[in-house]
Amino acid sequence: MKRFGMMVVTMVLAAALTLTGCNSGGSGAVGNEKVLTIARGADMVSFDVHNHNNTSTEAIHVNMFNYLIKLDENQEPQPDLAESWEQKNDTTWEFKLKENVKFHNGDPFTAEDVKFSLERVAKDQSLLEHTSYKQIKEVKVIDDHTVEIITHNPDPVLLNRLSRLGSSMLPSKYIEEEGWDQFLKQPVGTGPYQFEEWIRDDRVVLKKYDDYFGEKPKWNQVVFRAIPEEATRVGELMTGGVDIVENTPPSDIERINGNEGTHVQEAPTQRVMMLVVRMSEGNVTADPKVREAIELAIDNQAITDNILQGAGTPTRTRVTPGTFGANPKLYDKYEYDPKKAKQLLKEAGFEKGLKLTLSATNGRYLKDKEIAEMIAAMLSEVGIQVKLDMLEWSKYNEKYQGKKFDELYMIGYGNSMFDGGYAFERLSPEVAKGETDYNNAEVEKLLEQAMENMDEKEREQQYQKVQELVAADRPHIYLHQVKGIYGVNDRINFNPRLDELIIADDIELK
Amino acid sequence: MKYFFKSLLQVIPVLFIISLIVFILVNVTGNPVDLMLPETATEEDRANLIQALGLDQPLHVQYFRFLKNAVQGDFGESFRYNQPALPIVLERLPATIELAVTSMIVATLLSIPLGILSAVKRNTFLDVLITGGAVLGKAMPNFWLGIMLILILSVTLKIFPVSGHGTFLHLVLPAITLGTGIAAEMTRLIRSSMLEILGQDYIRTARSKGLMEIIVVNKHALRNALIPVVTIMALQTSTLIGGTLITETVFSWPGMGQLLIQAVNTRDMALVQAAVFVIALFVILGNLLADLTYRYLDPRIKYN
Repeated sequence: MKRFGMMVVTMVLAAALTLTGCNSGGSGAVGNEKVLTIARGADMVSFDVHNHNNTSTEAIHVNMFNYLIKLDENQEPQPDLAESWEQKNDTTWEFKLKENVKFHNGDPFTAEDVKFSLERVAKDQSLLEHTSYKQIKEVKVIDDHTVEIITHNPDPVLLNRLSRLGSSMLPSKYIEEEGWDQFLKQPVGTGPYQFEEWIRDDRVVLKKYDDYFGEKPKWNQVVFRAIPEEATRVGELMTGGVDIVENTPPSDIERINGNEGTHVQEAPTQRVMMLVVRMSEGNVTADPKVREAIELAIDNQAITDNILQGAGTPTRTRVTPGTFGANPKLYDKYEYDPKKAKQLLKEAGFEKGLKLTLSATNGRYLKDKEIAEMIAAMLSEVGIQVKLDMLEWSKYNEKYQGKKFDELYMIGYGNSMFDGGYAFERLSPEVAKGETDYNNAEVEKLLEQAMENMDEKEREQQYQKVQELVAADRPHIYLHQVKGIYGVNDRINFNPRLDELIIADDIELK
Repeated sequence: MKYFFKSLLQVIPVLFIISLIVFILVNVTGNPVDLMLPETATEEDRANLIQALGLDQPLHVQYFRFLKNAVQGDFGESFRYNQPALPIVLERLPATIELAVTSMIVATLLSIPLGILSAVKRNTFLDVLITGGAVLGKAMPNFWLGIMLILILSVTLKIFPVSGHGTFLHLVLPAITLGTGIAAEMTRLIRSSMLEILGQDYIRTARSKGLMEIIVVNKHALRNALIPVVTIMALQTSTLIGGTLITETVFSWPGMGQLLIQAVNTRDMALVQAAVFVIALFVILGNLLADLTYRYLDPRIKYN
């Protein structure tokens, strides 16, 4: 009897030892100074560069692939895989490609790859990034290192398109020979780092590519870890297990700064939080006075100071500095005047107050739940009783896609195109139908003109005008631009980018 | 042996019921299509995707198709990974087993001595301390305990790594986190089983013969008290698996639990179904094992 018990224990022990014996290598930056480790809340989604719309996935891709053009910190186009470019006519652009560029598998990079990559995303409607590339009609191969890109209509945003997610250059020969599934398992690009392994929901590991055409890679390995639990992420940073953590909770800023060897860096992002307003007849928010009262009742500075601990900038526009067409008159501004708000409600006939519903996400955006609660409290101060409808993301998304929200919902939009036009797509009449039901002929006309306007100066003014009109009409009531909060190990120099990409070779050891 | 096969046959209807429940739950929680599409998608895009996924068929048709494939080990493709779901789940199984087995060892090493001590020193201060500790250990939520352990042992004292998987050191904190609750449960069970035996006639006889207490406990009582322990261990499978879900998330442990949580968050139905199935199978097998060892160790139970 006793022997049986002993046997069980021995077997369990033996099993445990064999299991713990077969391990993958250790992790973390400790003890290996040429490994850069970045921790974030979620795993990347796919290596299909055309079939995701996820900035944190692109942040990994950008180290493995190249675009034709890259934008510098002032959002000016610089050569990447393209040596130079010129516009031949309204719809034709010629690009000279760099020579002697090799993919990680040794294939040379040629004009064929450009044609393959761009035409795939421009023609395949099932791809998530198709809408941002359908403007491209065709890519003509002139010779091995020259291509012409032809657009359906004049496209002033083409250079921006070719320097963002969805325009990474893929190895056409490798994909045609080995198939997509093989590429997704063993992706190949031209970038400074090549694929080593991807353990789902755990980590993506890249290693340096010695034959990179540009400057020699600075790191031996770059590791992107997925750590969903915030406290664990911050813990890893404080013990030196990772170099950079994304999405740090504001409440941990002091802890990280007070800890030996770590500090916090904040940087503006393209994301703007806003209230989307249903202006359709039959809603109290159809009355412009009510919409103005809502804006005047919200103290944006109080939100950014208290809830975000400074990690946000009040704004009255979605087009923030660094994006083409930004209107400086509307940025870092807010209107707060509860007295006037009450007056406006009285004029609108709501002296006894009014009721409306505000829907918001819980846990999707920085402190979204707390912000929504604070807004509800501020609105009740002026006599607007808010029914707060807190939804988890998938329920919220269902309502969002079905356009089933009531008077107000809160959302945060980014702008991966760095262009003003992108910020107003949701206000075009067909998209706005059933959502905001916004319909302003002047705005629509300006947006249509700007979309094909090749005169940069004039186009900029058109977008600035649109923003002023939208700020006055209030189909969207803008709250603040979100700052990214990064926890950083003191051993590296890291300047967070406006586009939230993590470019390993821009990060160096001190 | 005959009994064993009979029990094994009973597993099939249970799995069938589980498949039905999982299928219904996944279907009422929302439409995955809306989560997959970007903000610029049109109605047409939506309709195409629904058709491609076969979500436009009536529910019972969908269910039978799901069942037919599941029997062949095909749970469909994970849409996040563009790969068949079951292999992804199985890939994560070793890490979860590693954590579960280690936690079980931690729990056993803690609970056997504590349980016996508590029974022998019944109603003393020590007994109160141990049973009190067991109540506390059972009541502490895993995620809280995990975060506290990280704060104290990793961030402040820098003894163990915070998260991840790799060396033996990585295993310590998750195993303690997961093992504590189980140890608490087992301590209480061992204590009561020991008390029951200590009250039996043959122990009284041994004592009246003037044997030393230590011999009575170790030689006569312990042997019989450990019979249920093996069963108790096997019965912990479900607690163990449930615990891995939370513990793996806290420590970013790349196992099945973490995968399942992420899959639920992203509505990756195929992955959820495959993971739940594998987990259910483990729980059923664990209970079957408990049943069998009990019969094997205690001949008074009839095989029928």
